[in-house]
Amino acid sequence: MKKGQYRLSGEKKFSYWLACAAAMHVIVFFLAILFQLWDAGRHAEPKIVTVTLVSLPGSGASREYADHEGGTEAVVTPSQPSPPPPAVKKLASQPVQAPVPVPEKVSVPPRQIAIEPLKPKPIEKKPDINQALLRLKQNVDKKMSQLPPPSTTNLSNALARLQQKVKSEGGATGTGSGRGQGSSSAGRNGVGRGSGGGGNDDSYKARIASIIQQNWSFSKQLLKNSYGMEVYVRINILTDGTIRQILYDRRAPSEYLNNSVKKALEKSSPLPALPKEEGSRDVWIGFVFTPEGIE
Amino acid sequence: MLDSRLGIFGLLSDAGVVVLMVLSVLLSFSIISWAIIAFKFGYLRKSLRESKAFLDYFFEVNNVDKVFTESEKFRHGSLPRVFRSGYIEYRALGDKGDIRHARVRIARAVKREVNAENKRLSALVPFLATVGNTAPFIGLFGTVWGIMNSFHNIGLTQSASLAAVAPGISEALVATAAGLAAAIPAVIAYNAFTQQISVIERDLEEFSPEFVSAFINEP
Repeated sequence: MKKGQYRLSGEKKFSYWLACAAAMHVIVFFLAILFQLWDAGRHAEPKIVTVTLVSLPGSGASREYADHEGGTEAVVTPSQPSPPPPAVKKLASQPVQAPVPVPEKVSVPPRQIAIEPLKPKPIEKKPDINQALLRLKQNVDKKMSQLPPPSTTNLSNALARLQQKVKSEGGATGTGSGRGQGSSSAGRNGVGRGSGGGGNDDSYKARIASIIQQNWSFSKQLLKNSYGMEVYVRINILTDGTIRQILYDRRAPSEYLNNSVKKALEKSSPLPALPKEEGSRDVWIGFVFTPEGIE
Repeated sequence: MLDSRLGIFGLLSDAGVVVLMVLSVLLSFSIISWAIIAFKFGYLRKSLRESKAFLDYFFEVNNVDKVFTESEKFRHGSLPRVFRSGYIEYRALGDKGDIRHARVRIARAVKREVNAENKRLSALVPFLATVGNTAPFIGLFGTVWGIMNSFHNIGLTQSASLAAVAPGISEALVATAAGLAAAIPAVIAYNAFTQQISVIERDLEEFSPEFVSAFINEP
């Protein structure tokens, strides 16, 4: 009887502990869920706090303007470039309190005076730039109209000089006396050595010089100064008129001039075929390019 | 909140039937194990404490009648129970002149109670060993089954991307985790209880002859 009662009490105790264990598992399960929720809340993204930065009119440049205007009352606060981060946090955490001081400062009447001058500034700048550009264009047009076209004058000068040479040389060959009427340019070209065949050669030179001059796009006004602006160039011309080689005997300080000469020569190739008098050999012809033209 | 795909509910809702069965078995194993742990913890602690107190009183007092009266206070101790069974047998002897016969009968009664007490002490403890041994394998079975299904789904979807593989394996691994969660406390408790039971059994074996001698030599 006692054993039976003891066994019964033991079974009761075990069932009691069984219930306790089940309850413990349920509690652990819910704790796990709670932990999961807590963990999810801990790693959740923070709420987005929208912070609107209000630029007060009394700060920065408007202060200077207020000083210019003599309205010292327009100065609201001393310039504070950026508030410290804690202040921003406070604004985010207490959104109701933050805007309170702002209207108090903004409510100062001279604020409107500070805002007004900001608008006309850009409006005034635009006409200034346009007017300046217009003025510059007008000045350039006037100067361009006053100056004769460089290419035509250079071309005419070169042609006149070449014609003079031809005339003088032609006269020499015709008379056979060689009076020495050649100009300094003629002497530079080595003309007047007494050879009878120079007439055709110079006429060919004049032709190719005019061609190169036509293809030479160069503006004298783009050079800062014309001192030492001479380019001595020798070109090797094949019998068919093709320019085989370009050699710079002397370069100008301006690369613009050097390049323009090179481009003009390249553009002019092929030149007219060499005269039959030159034979089947290629010839070297030298030119002097100056801002005034080809010599 | 609760519909999180990575949460506990997400794992359980996406698990297959076999995995759910495995999890339920492991949950029941865990509940029973913890119940046994709690029950045996209190039982063995009381038994050890009362046995020690009874032995102290037994060696202080030479009168078995007084010891028997005192043993009624130690209802949960193993040694007091054995002593009471021997005392009851001693009092039941009609002819106490035959010492040899009386010793045999009292010894037999004490041994029977020692055996009963051993069974009582070790009851339910083997279940802890069973849980400790089998729960990881049961969990592993659920994991293998889950991974099997996961690979089957990968074959069906024809996509071996991490997004296709990882959820299935994660669900499957829950079973292994549950098996380990059930097995680890069971194994720890089994080792502790086995050690305590062996201590009590050693006391029973050593002091049972002392009880018999005390009855026979009683003045």
